[in-house]
Amino acid sequence: MQLTRVVSSRHLRLLVLFSMAGLNLQSVAAQDTEGVSVTPIETADSAPARSLVQQLNDALEPVDSFFGDVNGYIAEVIFFKVPLGGGDTVPAAVLVLLLGATFFTFRMGFINVRGFRHAIMVTAGKYDNPDDQGEVTHFQALTAALSATVGLGNIAGVAIAIGTGGPGATLWLILAGFIGMSSKFVECTLGQKYREVRPDGRIMGGAMYYLSRGLPELGLGGLGKFLAIMFAILCVGGSFAGGNSFQVKMSLDAVAQTLPFLAAPEVAGAADYRWIYGLLMAIVTGMVIIGGIRRIASAAEKIVPAMCGIYVLAALIILLKNVGQIPAALELIVADAFTGTAVKGGLVGVLVIGFKRAAFSNEAGVGSAAIAHAAAKTEYPVREGMVALLGPFIDTVVICTMTALVIVITGAWDTAQNPQYASLIENDNGAALTSLAMDGQIPGFRYVLAVAVVLFAFSTMISWSYYGERCWAYLFGDNASMSYRIIFLIFTFLGSIVSATNVLDFGDLMIFGMAIPNIIGVVLLSGKVRKDLDEYWQKLKNGDLEVTVPSATADSGE
Amino acid sequence: MPLSTSKIVVPIDFSSESPHAIQNAVRIAGDASKLHLVHVLLPLDSVSPGVLLGDISDESRREKVTEKLTQLADEHGASEATVAVQLGTPGLEIADYARDHGADLIIVPSHGYHGFKRMFLGSVAERVIRHAECSVLVLRRADAE
Repeated sequence: MQLTRVVSSRHLRLLVLFSMAGLNLQSVAAQDTEGVSVTPIETADSAPARSLVQQLNDALEPVDSFFGDVNGYIAEVIFFKVPLGGGDTVPAAVLVLLLGATFFTFRMGFINVRGFRHAIMVTAGKYDNPDDQGEVTHFQALTAALSATVGLGNIAGVAIAIGTGGPGATLWLILAGFIGMSSKFVECTLGQKYREVRPDGRIMGGAMYYLSRGLPELGLGGLGKFLAIMFAILCVGGSFAGGNSFQVKMSLDAVAQTLPFLAAPEVAGAADYRWIYGLLMAIVTGMVIIGGIRRIASAAEKIVPAMCGIYVLAALIILLKNVGQIPAALELIVADAFTGTAVKGGLVGVLVIGFKRAAFSNEAGVGSAAIAHAAAKTEYPVREGMVALLGPFIDTVVICTMTALVIVITGAWDTAQNPQYASLIENDNGAALTSLAMDGQIPGFRYVLAVAVVLFAFSTMISWSYYGERCWAYLFGDNASMSYRIIFLIFTFLGSIVSATNVLDFGDLMIFGMAIPNIIGVVLLSGKVRKDLDEYWQKLKNGDLEVTVPSATADSGE
Repeated sequence: MPLSTSKIVVPIDFSSESPHAIQNAVRIAGDASKLHLVHVLLPLDSVSPGVLLGDISDESRREKVTEKLTQLADEHGASEATVAVQLGTPGLEIADYARDHGADLIIVPSHGYHGFKRMFLGSVAERVIRHAECSVLVLRRADAE
């Protein structure tokens, strides 16, 4: 009885401590000792508190090394090194994504270019028909898919790409975003085409549905079922890793730039409070996914477009401030893209880094966004595919490019000139790198970024928990959601304590792993998409697709 | 040969077993107006776009399912049956519905899930049997060997 009271009061004090720390960092140490002094046996000495935190850290250390070991095993398969001749190698999954995106771009006749204008018109609601079957408008489907992709991958992942791959990675990043638009078009069209409409009006769609329902039409039912299950398992893994732990880890890095007590301890074994952030993120996420408090999640989803705007604006201000350096920076980017002086493997090395971080951020070819786009109200699957192709454009060609240019222009990547960034790059602390680079140009921006980053992380986690839950339901049935949600929250917490490199590697493995079953299936089904596209395009050209529904009844743009 | 029952509950999950269950129930009851076709909706998630941004709600789901239930009943000779939509855990809700409406029989199709799905879902039939306060008739699957 006595004991529980002591424990709960300590927990309460920790929470109070955390919120006060935000207001007054200087007082942290003093608060800390006061907080501990309530336990009956101790005096004002801070040692017992440290040993408690230390014990927790000691207990969690094997978890981190376990992650590292598991990563090593899975990487042997998914990142199997494909030799290109001349000693260069490309990881298998990256090669699959690269070849897939190139193939789709040609197969669909550069839909990423010719469909762009129509995509904007559709997203703007010009073709919305509220009577079409589905859950959301085109715009809302894009918002949901974007909230999954626009996250720490854009801010942290890209900074890591430039930090480790050099300025040249920017060019490959943009190119990956550009051809990724075609992959996204094909997979999201399929997501619509083979979706399942439940009796209660909910939509079930995504790669696991088009693989298992589409491939039997080609006489490949067995393969379809196998690929669908493989995809669903990896997507569940991706939702725990890249869509969850990675977001927590990287947003924590950015937050620690403004709340230093949340940073990793500089001396090994010193007090470490990172887990407080993990616990808070798990509590808030749990309030939504288990507690059912939807208002928090829908508010976060709706704020994302505004946050993207602020981020891009800040990046543009930095570019304008340094407008004189832009020509030299562009020259450096193009030259370095082909020489890859910063990395082992030169051209191939820098290309792989650029493509990897682009695909991690925009998920084109990964198959995840098809789950969200399947939910849109539309009569024509191709139409939603068009909307979807705007995703990699906004995510990568615009937002990731902004991060990359800021890192290049500010010289944050150049550890010879700016040695203070070396340890951040070495430890994959990308969010901290971006935060410092931007703050150096716009003093105080790290506070804005810390808020933005937490919101990006949270909305990405909500969207990915939706992807993961749908895949979990595909594997284990609709009634099995609770077990998924609990595991998801465990990974949320783990994100705060596992090392950045291990989290990044695990996220990469799962998300790139998804691309393998997805691209195989989408390539096989691409003929059907091309046929649908040609029919749709013909109707569009003939003017058969004019809006007939009065726009007043369409609830677009909300 | 009609049994002496006045109110029969038939859980409907819109699977391929559902038409078979309705037809059998009509035969057993002898009069479709004795039937209550009940669908149980699982609680809504709070992360999907339809819930967060779109117009999916428990009301919209209830409305759609009621429409589908009525249609299914009409198609299988049970247009006089009562249709109802409950929200919660399927097995428990069916047992509760039967008790609250004073039903004297529940006719439940068996699914025959195996492996993972069985482990996670258990069986609605099992739960109904365990919780029901009236008699329960479990139908053999239409495609059973």
